[in-house]
Amino acid sequence: MNDHARTATPWLLIAVPAAVLLVFFVLPNALLLSASFLKTEAQQLTNQPTLDNYKFLLTRPLYLEVMLRTLVVGLCVGALDVLLGFPLAYFLVRTKSRWKGLLIALSLAPLLASVIVRTYGWYIILNRFGVVNDALLGLGVMAERIAFMPSTGAIVVGLAHALLPYAVLTIMGSLGGINPNLEKAAMSLGANRTRTFLSVVLPLSIPGVVGGFILVFSIAISAYATPAILGGPATQVAATAIYNFMINLLDWSAGAALAVILIVSSLLLLYAAARMGAKRAAL
Amino acid sequence: MRSDTTAPWALLCVVVALIYLFSLGPILITAAVSFNETNRSLFPPRGWSLRWWARAFGPEWTQPLVFSLKLSTLTAVLSTVLALPLAFALHRHRFPGREAMIALALGPLMLPTLVTGVGLLQLFQYAGLREHIGFGALLAGHLVICLPFAVRTVSISLQTLPPNVELAAASLGATRWNTLRHVVFPLIKNGLVAGAVFAFIHSFTDVNLSLFLATPGEQPITVKILAFLEFGFAPTLAAVSVITLVLPLVLVAVVERLSGLGDFIYGERRA
Amino acid sequence: MPEPALRLVGIEKHYPSAVAVAGIDLDVAEGEFVTLLGPSGCGKTTTLGLVAGFFPPTRGEIWLKGRHVEGLPSFKRDIGVVFQDYALFPHMNAAENVAFGLRMRKVSSSDMAKRVADALELVKLTGLGDRRPLQMSGGQRQRVALARALVINPAVLLLDEPLSNLDLKLREEMRVEIATLQRRLGITTVFVTHDQGEALVMSDRIAVMNAGRIEQIGTPSDIYERPATRFVAQFIGRMNLIAGKVTPSRRVAVDGGVELPIPVDRDITTGSDVHVAVRPERAELRPDAPSSGVTIPCTLRQVLYLGSTRELHVDFDGGQRGIVEMPNDGSASRFEAGALAWFCAPVESCRVLRA
Repeated sequence: MNDHARTATPWLLIAVPAAVLLVFFVLPNALLLSASFLKTEAQQLTNQPTLDNYKFLLTRPLYLEVMLRTLVVGLCVGALDVLLGFPLAYFLVRTKSRWKGLLIALSLAPLLASVIVRTYGWYIILNRFGVVNDALLGLGVMAERIAFMPSTGAIVVGLAHALLPYAVLTIMGSLGGINPNLEKAAMSLGANRTRTFLSVVLPLSIPGVVGGFILVFSIAISAYATPAILGGPATQVAATAIYNFMINLLDWSAGAALAVILIVSSLLLLYAAARMGAKRAAL
Repeated sequence: MRSDTTAPWALLCVVVALIYLFSLGPILITAAVSFNETNRSLFPPRGWSLRWWARAFGPEWTQPLVFSLKLSTLTAVLSTVLALPLAFALHRHRFPGREAMIALALGPLMLPTLVTGVGLLQLFQYAGLREHIGFGALLAGHLVICLPFAVRTVSISLQTLPPNVELAAASLGATRWNTLRHVVFPLIKNGLVAGAVFAFIHSFTDVNLSLFLATPGEQPITVKILAFLEFGFAPTLAAVSVITLVLPLVLVAVVERLSGLGDFIYGERRA
Repeated sequence: MPEPALRLVGIEKHYPSAVAVAGIDLDVAEGEFVTLLGPSGCGKTTTLGLVAGFFPPTRGEIWLKGRHVEGLPSFKRDIGVVFQDYALFPHMNAAENVAFGLRMRKVSSSDMAKRVADALELVKLTGLGDRRPLQMSGGQRQRVALARALVINPAVLLLDEPLSNLDLKLREEMRVEIATLQRRLGITTVFVTHDQGEALVMSDRIAVMNAGRIEQIGTPSDIYERPATRFVAQFIGRMNLIAGKVTPSRRVAVDGGVELPIPVDRDITTGSDVHVAVRPERAELRPDAPSSGVTIPCTLRQVLYLGSTRELHVDFDGGQRGIVEMPNDGSASRFEAGALAWFCAPVESCRVLRA
């Protein structure tokens, strides 16, 4: 019983927000897209159309390495976070402890910390004079201190730590949606707890696991701060390379082209995730 | 695995404890480092001193902190204010281009904030305003990346309005304005607050976008910390980092107390 | 003739995908209880929404106490609405909910308090004013919704299937209560339901709706005893519908060749397909053919025991089926499955309806 037919109203309502989004979101991205097809000379953007920027990025070994590293980091972080996130999510969904709320909050607390805060801790742990080295020396596993940083491995560990809550949230959402009667049904048919888990819960949680992987992957490939802190000039990823292009080299075109590659990858991932049905839509 | 006392469950608890250690450890270590006696980031801390904390509350660090607070508060308020008419229009009207508007409103969530930051920098460059980046540019950027959060939470609130209450109010003699004032707003209040809080946190913790739009005099605290990392990991930085964690934490705890934020995180509805 | 309290003239409501209301004319007299009865999708709720002013009609006029209102928004109409899901304001307690309409009409607070208390007493909820809807049972919420609509003394009370979310026992209790309340207060009422039991018990008149139109308006007994169309006949209660044709001698020949001596309306032409409608409880099964009345040979297929009644399901020659309902007087059934018998009914209990 609801049928409001006044047609001017919606336009009036969306006018200002839409304008803000168009000017400060669509326009900048459109500019990026166009800049990626223009030449930059002497650190100034010209009007000459070209595909050189993309050719540059896709043929130079340095940048291919950057993109490959970004991809590998994304995959490792995604896999790690899903591996770690699943037990945690399962625990949080099934636990009957009265501290359940607190435990959930604790698992999400890292999200509130700026990436800097989270990464800083890893710096302290992983550096030459840090905790890990001290421990390994003390246990006699190593003879001398190793520089764990800067390295791609350190980036993976740091990002996996930072993005774990996203995996946990997504998997929790999916696990929470599994009808508890299904497990009861399986057990009534003779499956013990382990079999029930393997043949009922695990398969049904796959959308959440995949969704979590994709979410973490897409954030990981565009991460800046963690790779900047835990990596170095020799271990660049897409985000740090873009920063380098834009701020240090003032090569607008290359930076824009790399940004566009990043955008396209993100959108493709999003599409894949949406197809999986692993995302919940609010609108 | 429903009983909490079986062997598989106990094993799970051990694994989970280790994961919590992995997750919270680095943060606690950062906090501990800030108490070092000397100017070195050692863990476990050598000596015990609050001098770095004193520096963290000094003018050099409180200036960007206050800047961040101002920026994020303004972002939160503006996001909510802009999200309201947008969410209303999307919820109650079917108009051509509605789907496109939804995509536009949620768009900034879909793209890396880094890219939006770069794009905005380029926009300012094009408009000849490169020298004028700083608070204004940051506000525009933050607004754009935080708006989707506010729109989502307000939309969820509108969707959880009991279906016929607005019609009931109208049938009882309430004009459109009275219905909004006495029925709709009280019921979506929680959603508005949640949206504002999410927007605040997203803005306060952002670094990828702010990186490109900050200037030496106008920097959010995250960018300043990142810049200082070039000079090494002083305990002062650790102290400042902890402050930047505690602030949003306290904010969320307070708001949760007052209006039940949990619903919007897990998507559950309290009746 | 006094002015009707509510008058609908040529009301239509078209949507891009369908026509919800195809043309309704209705007069509701002051103090009358009229029910719009029909299956889902028949347009009854839409009609109510049009009267309430939730959306404008595509065509037609609505008169409320002599005033043209179809152009007025809901808040300018003197109506009270009870929704199927009650639509109570969750952030207000019962008393505040009931007071809302009074607040909108700027009633003074002392008056308001008294009227709210009176309304709550009317629906037997005295003392529960400070409870929130969440803390109340479904039945209590329904009463609050009723009180809220009544306290403002509307010219017309509109109820949209208010009982369908209650369990059976409560539903039967509430329909008597609401009907009694309405009679006492004398408020003109339009009630929407798909439940014919409610309609029969509560209404002064019933408008049976189908596909956006009113098929028949009449008192409950009119509708039940003298359904005008096949749809109405089948919708209310159960009805035997035996297909046949009108013979030149203006009788009805049913399949199997039997001719039935039921008068046929003049405007049903000879040769047309018709149905003979007779209620199961008006028919009986006899071992031998009686000399008068409607008689059709049949075979008993099944006897169902339903406690207070027995249902005898029969097959007619020619393939059609019928049901006879007989009260259970405690004796064993005289008939067994497979027996040959005669399906009989008095002529006055049968009607001939267009197919």
